[in-house]
Amino acid sequence: MKEKSIIKFENFSFRYDSANEFILKNINLEINKNELVILAGPTGCGKSTLLRSIIGLIPHMHGGEYKGRVIVDQLVVNDVKITDLAKKAGFVFQNPENQIFMFSIERDIVFGLENLGTSRTIMKERVDSILSLLKIEHLATKAPHELSDGEKQKAALAGILAMQPKILILDEPTSLLDPKTAIDFINIVNDLRKKIGMTIVIVEHRLDLVVGIADKLIILSNGKIIENNNPKQVLHYSNQLIPEIGIPVISRLYRNLAKSNYDFDNVIVTVKDMVKEMRRKKFND
Amino acid sequence: MVVKMYWISKGFIFTKVDSFVHKLDPRVKLLISIQFFTLALLVSDLIDLAIIFIGIILLASISKILSRLIRTMLFALLFSGIILGINIIAGYSFIYSLQIALRFVAIVCSTSIFFLITSPDELEYVLRWFRIPNDLVFAFVTAVRFVPIILLDALQIIDAQKSRGLELERGNPITRIKNFVPILVPLIVNEVIRSGELAEAMESRCYGVVKKPTVLYELQLNINDKLAIPFCTSIFILGLLFSI
Repeated sequence: MKEKSIIKFENFSFRYDSANEFILKNINLEINKNELVILAGPTGCGKSTLLRSIIGLIPHMHGGEYKGRVIVDQLVVNDVKITDLAKKAGFVFQNPENQIFMFSIERDIVFGLENLGTSRTIMKERVDSILSLLKIEHLATKAPHELSDGEKQKAALAGILAMQPKILILDEPTSLLDPKTAIDFINIVNDLRKKIGMTIVIVEHRLDLVVGIADKLIILSNGKIIENNNPKQVLHYSNQLIPEIGIPVISRLYRNLAKSNYDFDNVIVTVKDMVKEMRRKKFND
Repeated sequence: MVVKMYWISKGFIFTKVDSFVHKLDPRVKLLISIQFFTLALLVSDLIDLAIIFIGIILLASISKILSRLIRTMLFALLFSGIILGINIIAGYSFIYSLQIALRFVAIVCSTSIFFLITSPDELEYVLRWFRIPNDLVFAFVTAVRFVPIILLDALQIIDAQKSRGLELERGNPITRIKNFVPILVPLIVNEVIRSGELAEAMESRCYGVVKKPTVLYELQLNINDKLAIPFCTSIFILGLLFSI
């Protein structure tokens, strides 16, 4: 039978060498193919550790006490090299500056491919297709210091996409971007999912940017998963919502109105849905 | 002082310019730079040195980087003044001391001009062409790539510490050096953290999987390069003949 899940955590716990306590405690989690999953939680709750354990930086680069198993596209993370996992899952770090190595963006896009010894013809094809996919052809020959923060983030994403991973992991990709650029970047990610059909795991504090497009919202607190469900379900019905995750204004409005017996036909998590709902109500009244 | 350092440092950092020289193959640019360097080492006459300077200034003008080269010259002149003084104190004649000091400036300029007309990317290709091991090439490329970023980090830390009352330009020279400790400590911590993130990013992009990575482009001499090589070499040989 074909496996539905692409990332699987089985009783996974991890403690860094330098720490006394486990940062992640008995995590059991399945992420299915082509899902877009948001990972939220307060600072220091273990989000970045969870992401790093998907691409094998934990335990191969950061040592510590490792319990349980993490399986990524049928590879057990503990048993394979980071480079084997790099072909399955691509990681876009929070600060793009630290993952752009080369002086021209087109060279940086193929950095991973060069390291794999890919032929020049394939690299050229890949650069062209990624540049046009992200609509950044004009950045091809530019140097990293000539780019804006948003462009740097796109360039970092391009470098990851060139390796054609099945899973895309984004660690707070909008934290350095202004609101407009952040929205544009999230739209690009959503388009990618539609065009390429990737599994996307995204850590995001500005939930209002992503709840409308996500399949799952996972909330981590103190190293444990406290919520794992459809964003609408979590944001409306959960009694474990913690303020640190940055509950979207619309969700707070919806919850308050619903508490005051305002009759909604649907659960609302986005401004667009709220506008639709209000228009319908007005029309019906 | 810091602002002055930043201004001078720009004389060593490559910026893209649309010029005939910039479009040449990096190996040709290296050849031209080596030729100037060799001539600067060999000539001893003040007139010969003046001709070399004219050559360097002409090349910088054609490359549209004269203003940047002037910064390098000013930086080199600072040290050449010290060389001049030491030589005079040591009992050498003024003319001889001046020759030594100007030779130093010519050597610095001939090296600097190469870095001003060659992008770090091209530099990497040249290093690979010389079959330098990949790890060394990558270490060099990364170091050059992060120079402007570390400079900006330093400026940001300086601003932050100044806003908290740090006075860098106060006291005798030793105190002034000590004043830089509150800048250096956070800067080093920053860069150590950055290097950790870089290592993670390298691992996640398969660095080191193959011993000899492929590269996107191959160095190829075009017609301009093929014309520039004999032209520059013949001038170089003429210069050599005259200097001997």
